Amino acid sequence: MKKYIYRGLVMAFAVAISSCTTEDLEPTLAQSKSVEESVNKVDNLFSILKGIHSILSTSGYYGQDVIITNEVRSDNAFSNGGSGRYTTESQYVYNNNSDLIWNNAYEVIANTNIIINADVESLEGDVDYGRHIQGQATAIRALAHFDLLREYGQQHTGNGNLGVPIVTEYKGEDLFPARNTIDEVKAAIYSDLETAFSMMDAQYDNTNVYISKYAAKALESRVAVYFGDWSRAVSAAEEVINSGLYSIVPADNFVSSWTTDGGPNIIFELAASQVDNAGINGLAYIYQINDDGSGYGDVTATSELLGIYEASDVRLGVISTDGDFIRNVGKYPDNVNFTDNIPLIRYEEVVLNYAEALLETGGDALTELNKLPANRGASLYTEATKENIILERRKELAFEGFRYDDQLRVGMDMEARGTDGGVIEVINYPSYLFAWPIPLSEMNANSNMVQNDGY
Amino acid sequence: MKKRLNGFLTLLLVLVVQIGFAQEKTVSGTVLDEDGLPLPGVNVIVKGTSNGAQTDFDGNYDIDVEVGNVMVFSYVGFASQEITVGSSDVYNVTMAVDAGALEEVVVTGYVTQKKSDVTGSLVEVSEEKLSEYAAASVDQALQGNVAGLTVSNSSGTPGSVANIRIRGISSITAGNEPLYVIDGVPVNNGNVSASTATSTISALAAIDQSTIESITVLKDASATAQYGARGANGVILITTKGGKYGTTKFNFTSQVGFQNDAIDQPTPLTNAQRLELAAEAYVNDGLAATEAEAEDLITSSGLFAQWDEAGRPESNWQQVLSNDDALYQQYSLSASGGGEDNRFFASLGYLQQEATVIGSEFERISGSLNFSKDFNPSLKFSSNNTASHSFQDAFLERSAYFASPRTAIYFMNPLRQPYNEDGTPAQVGGALPNPLIITRDDFSENRFTRIISGNSLDWNIGGGFKAGTKFNVDFQLYNYRTYGNRNYGYGVPVSGEASQYDRTTAFYVFQNYLEYDFEINPDHVFDLKVLQEYQANRSYFLGGDGNNFADDGLFFLTSAGTPTGVTSSFSDWYMGAYLGLFQYSAFDSKFVLNLSYRKEGNSRFSRDNRWGDFYSVGGALNLHKFDFLSSAGAIDYLKLRSSYGKTGNANIGLNNYQSLFTYGVDYNGEGAQVVDTFGNEDLSWEINKTLDVGLEFGLFQNTLTGSATYFRRNSEDLLLDVPLSQTTGFGEQTQNIGELVNQGFEFELNANIVNTNDVSLSIGGNLATVENEVTKLPLDPNGIERTITTTIDRIETGHPVREYYMPTWAGVNPETGLNEYYVNGVDGETTTNFNDAEAVFQGGNAIPTVTAGMNLNFSFKGFFVNAQGYYAGGHKIYEGWHRYLNQTNVYPLFFYNGYGAMMDRWQQPGDNARYSRATTSGEPWQRHSKYLYDADFLRLRTVTIGYDIPSAAMEQIGMTSARIFIRGNNLATWVKDDNLLYDPEQDLGGETGLETPPTKAVLVGVNLTF
Repeated sequence: MKKYIYRGLVMAFAVAISSCTTEDLEPTLAQSKSVEESVNKVDNLFSILKGIHSILSTSGYYGQDVIITNEVRSDNAFSNGGSGRYTTESQYVYNNNSDLIWNNAYEVIANTNIIINADVESLEGDVDYGRHIQGQATAIRALAHFDLLREYGQQHTGNGNLGVPIVTEYKGEDLFPARNTIDEVKAAIYSDLETAFSMMDAQYDNTNVYISKYAAKALESRVAVYFGDWSRAVSAAEEVINSGLYSIVPADNFVSSWTTDGGPNIIFELAASQVDNAGINGLAYIYQINDDGSGYGDVTATSELLGIYEASDVRLGVISTDGDFIRNVGKYPDNVNFTDNIPLIRYEEVVLNYAEALLETGGDALTELNKLPANRGASLYTEATKENIILERRKELAFEGFRYDDQLRVGMDMEARGTDGGVIEVINYPSYLFAWPIPLSEMNANSNMVQNDGY
Repeated sequence: MKKRLNGFLTLLLVLVVQIGFAQEKTVSGTVLDEDGLPLPGVNVIVKGTSNGAQTDFDGNYDIDVEVGNVMVFSYVGFASQEITVGSSDVYNVTMAVDAGALEEVVVTGYVTQKKSDVTGSLVEVSEEKLSEYAAASVDQALQGNVAGLTVSNSSGTPGSVANIRIRGISSITAGNEPLYVIDGVPVNNGNVSASTATSTISALAAIDQSTIESITVLKDASATAQYGARGANGVILITTKGGKYGTTKFNFTSQVGFQNDAIDQPTPLTNAQRLELAAEAYVNDGLAATEAEAEDLITSSGLFAQWDEAGRPESNWQQVLSNDDALYQQYSLSASGGGEDNRFFASLGYLQQEATVIGSEFERISGSLNFSKDFNPSLKFSSNNTASHSFQDAFLERSAYFASPRTAIYFMNPLRQPYNEDGTPAQVGGALPNPLIITRDDFSENRFTRIISGNSLDWNIGGGFKAGTKFNVDFQLYNYRTYGNRNYGYGVPVSGEASQYDRTTAFYVFQNYLEYDFEINPDHVFDLKVLQEYQANRSYFLGGDGNNFADDGLFFLTSAGTPTGVTSSFSDWYMGAYLGLFQYSAFDSKFVLNLSYRKEGNSRFSRDNRWGDFYSVGGALNLHKFDFLSSAGAIDYLKLRSSYGKTGNANIGLNNYQSLFTYGVDYNGEGAQVVDTFGNEDLSWEINKTLDVGLEFGLFQNTLTGSATYFRRNSEDLLLDVPLSQTTGFGEQTQNIGELVNQGFEFELNANIVNTNDVSLSIGGNLATVENEVTKLPLDPNGIERTITTTIDRIETGHPVREYYMPTWAGVNPETGLNEYYVNGVDGETTTNFNDAEAVFQGGNAIPTVTAGMNLNFSFKGFFVNAQGYYAGGHKIYEGWHRYLNQTNVYPLFFYNGYGAMMDRWQQPGDNARYSRATTSGEPWQRHSKYLYDADFLRLRTVTIGYDIPSAAMEQIGMTSARIFIRGNNLATWVKDDNLLYDPEQDLGGETGLETPPTKAVLVGVNLTF
């Protein structure tokens, strides 16, 4: 019997030595790296900055949603519902079930905060360049807060002063923030943009597919115009104009400028290429239908928009009236390989910001305003008025997501449109519908969050 | 790996040591049964040693012994005999059949137990039952055969995945899939498809069901705790066939038949109906004064005009795109047998199954070899090997992809005709291409090769000690290719597009065990087993896509002019465990106690939280073995059993515990990174604590058998994706928080009503209930519960997981013809403004609360009839895609097509209609209770009528037995809710989709043994 017990013990030993330890169970991180241990070089900051730009270019952000939801709610365009997309926004019947840009904008902010809060002195590499990248991240943080504020803030709802939570830390102390006021958010945006401008060194800005020193200033002029901070708008626009880095694209090149990347009028655009693009969830696919029938083509222009251009205006060149609907085919034109960059800040906008700010502050608005029609094959204005400027903005910036904000900031009533383009309902200014509902998922997760009225 | 090799070498070393024990003399003899026939394969062992031999074909043996040794002759089904060696050199033995030894044994996981020693809740499903349902994947045959187990097919497309739930759902965001174990070794199963758009393909579909001997489903903690973390959702043990001593037997089975949709799918609107509704919409919206005027207007332009000119033909896409009488054929040829010290089972199988929609099929060729060899009577080696290659012609069915034929049946504008006048498929324009061309010229194909090799060495050390080692590899090669042609459809703008993705997965399992059986005296029998296990899963993925091909007929990326993407990745996980099993059986199993303890570590958790402890306690009281009952003649079997135990669940994404950057993003042609995972260092096991109490009985000479079971499963520390404030940049964080409870009753009853030589009749059934309730969810800092809500359901305490939650439809207003909803969600005031209607719980989720199976077996002489039915109820199903297909708006009437059911629409004041007035506008998505249906259904799963040709007749032609049969699957279905247009048997997602529906089949088959 002893023999067997002995053999049993040998086997027990065999089992024991073949056992495994905690280390044997260590998973491989093949595609990922730990956040805490992986920011050691200035290059790492640049890599995160690229990641941030990548999020900006997804279809849940500038790749489609921000631009399209604003266009279909304006008098420029509507959803014909061809594939069922964007009818909810076009008809102003949205509810709190959609995240829209809420999650994406805060994802951008989280990543910018990792860069901004990094101790740049301790990193390997060119520390000055590290500071520049921190400036870039700060500017994008401002952009994301501004996007959130214009979409979710209560500035056009008739009551309330709530903006959105300002988030300045990655995994910070308060993971359940309440909403800041509109003024607080605005102040934070201005502060970030000023800091960004001072931190950035233009020598590092050698491409316009990244946010840059003067892009931050251009953005400041946009925010200032939105809030009517006219003198700030004047000075910010002047900084950009006086940099001499940009020019209005001339009439002959206007249409073709949309098929080429990095034109002289581009202050900041998001890169797209044949291998990296929003594809069928991008801008071209939602605006166009190809000859072979591919393309969602839900978002089509109102006949009213077509009516604002003179026959000689080169900007008519981006609009097609073939087929059942009036379509934008010239802005973001590549509906096959989707290679077009998405311009976010064009010099033309800055000139128009400048013109409007000059008008409001008693300057020579007409000269600035006429720079646009002069380069578009259109008649010059004889007088600069608020209406002229807003009209010229509509002509120049159509399909780019500006019109909705322009209509609201001058207090226009809005129109809900059905799938045939007809007006279903006029929504008088102000209205709760001019702020998105805070997403239900946020409301359910964070009881400090206050929902916008009406939802 | 090195360590495990060491272990194996040590084992071999020990074996070498074993050779060389002394012998005195050799004795021989012949072993016969009571009829005087030789018994091959009888074990002859010298008692108390590992010294042994086996009889050969003629029943002869010889063995080296010492005088005074006791030889033990044993053979399954016969009473063991002991003979003391004396002076003789020849000992002939006659063995008698032992009724007691025939007590059923059941595989319960790492061990095999006598039925009376089982303390847990388990159900064994025989090969015969499994073979009654024709499907590529064997798990689908479990439906209705196991109380408390539900099977939900993700699609009726052959080869696709079935979701199995045992006793409800125990987890909200971690997996609810049971663990699959083949021949004692855990394997990976589930969906292997690399695409989220095309058909799923099940890893289990790679297994030929005709190689399976039985499937045992383990339900309670006493049985599943042995599997620790992976057993929380139940365990499905698959036992494959082995060989038996004797001459080689061949078996050939075939089944050939055809299939159609199990129930009629929704009928699309005809063009005439569509025009009628469209004209009404024009009038309702003020675009025309009369319907006649509207018809003229509508038919004056566009597709309606072309259709009008062509003489208003109907197109009938539904018929064109259906594959009526889809082929099903399955063949398998096997051979089994064994020699003195070896046994084998070898098989070849082929299966081909077409889908009921055009352009999709599944094909599998498989082979297996199970071989065992006794190196000597105490050392056995066995190797179970199976390899198969599957091909699935998949299609885009997991959303409403326009290129899918199933989508096109309802989405294709019926004004377009499928064929040209010359009979060729029409190259219809628009966003929806003609699937007749797409399925012919484009493809998306899954190819899946799976090799499973399980090798074990078992050593009967002697003295009650046994040891063994097992090594199993489950090797999976997956290939996915797509092509969009250059001439028609989505490939045109890019001159053809193609992609290819390959995944290689190797899953290793190592097990070593030591077992010690001993008894203090025959009244106190103990069995102790310790086991060590290590599992490693590594997966490599590589793929790319490109477009721009120079010519037709080129499908591979090397011919693509423009490479558009390339990807590769690696993932892995590991599991290590120590297991202790203890069984105590007293007084011939009157009392049985089972204990198990398992310590398990998993790579999904951080180092500090990697290891978890799981245990179970089970007891059984075999009342029929007590004198007071065994003397009462009516009771043959009566067992009271109970178990309680703790199991875990780690079925979450990899590396969730770490806060991570992902580098899977790029920008401007350069690699980039963003934060991806919030991380949670505290992450650890989800815990299930299950109580199970059951009574099993057999009455009147086991003519009436059955069981009743109550279970309660508390799931705690749920691995929950807790919603975060999205201001953090993240949507959720996986945390151990939340609790839910599943409890219910399970009953089984079988009656052998008649059982004579010529006639037998038995009926049986099972019934199971399960009640599910969320009892705890995370709170936010203000103490408010963080619920999780979607457009159709909500997770909240006091309710079942994902109870449907949406505004309540109040009907169509007879005066206005508009849809109305209850403002408070329940009753009273109504509104036409959807956003003003409150969402409320609708009662019930997508999981049945009551399921039942019924079966009948009848035979008369050689004829037999077997039938099985299945009922599921108490759950609901939401209709997907109704915005586009089942609302009287612009989508069905002008853009796409919809269901004929919409003809029941409001036309004029006073109408009581189900559908609102037709409109030319496109309504946004509004999900409400009109499209939520009771999903209760009753289905005749299988009917088989057959004849066993008398063996005398077969022997004359040199065969042993033959069976011919005709079989029907899903021939009849009753659906409770008349408004539910789709098949009620749906994926657990809770919404109907545009996947292939379940099928009904009629098959004929033969089963020959020779």
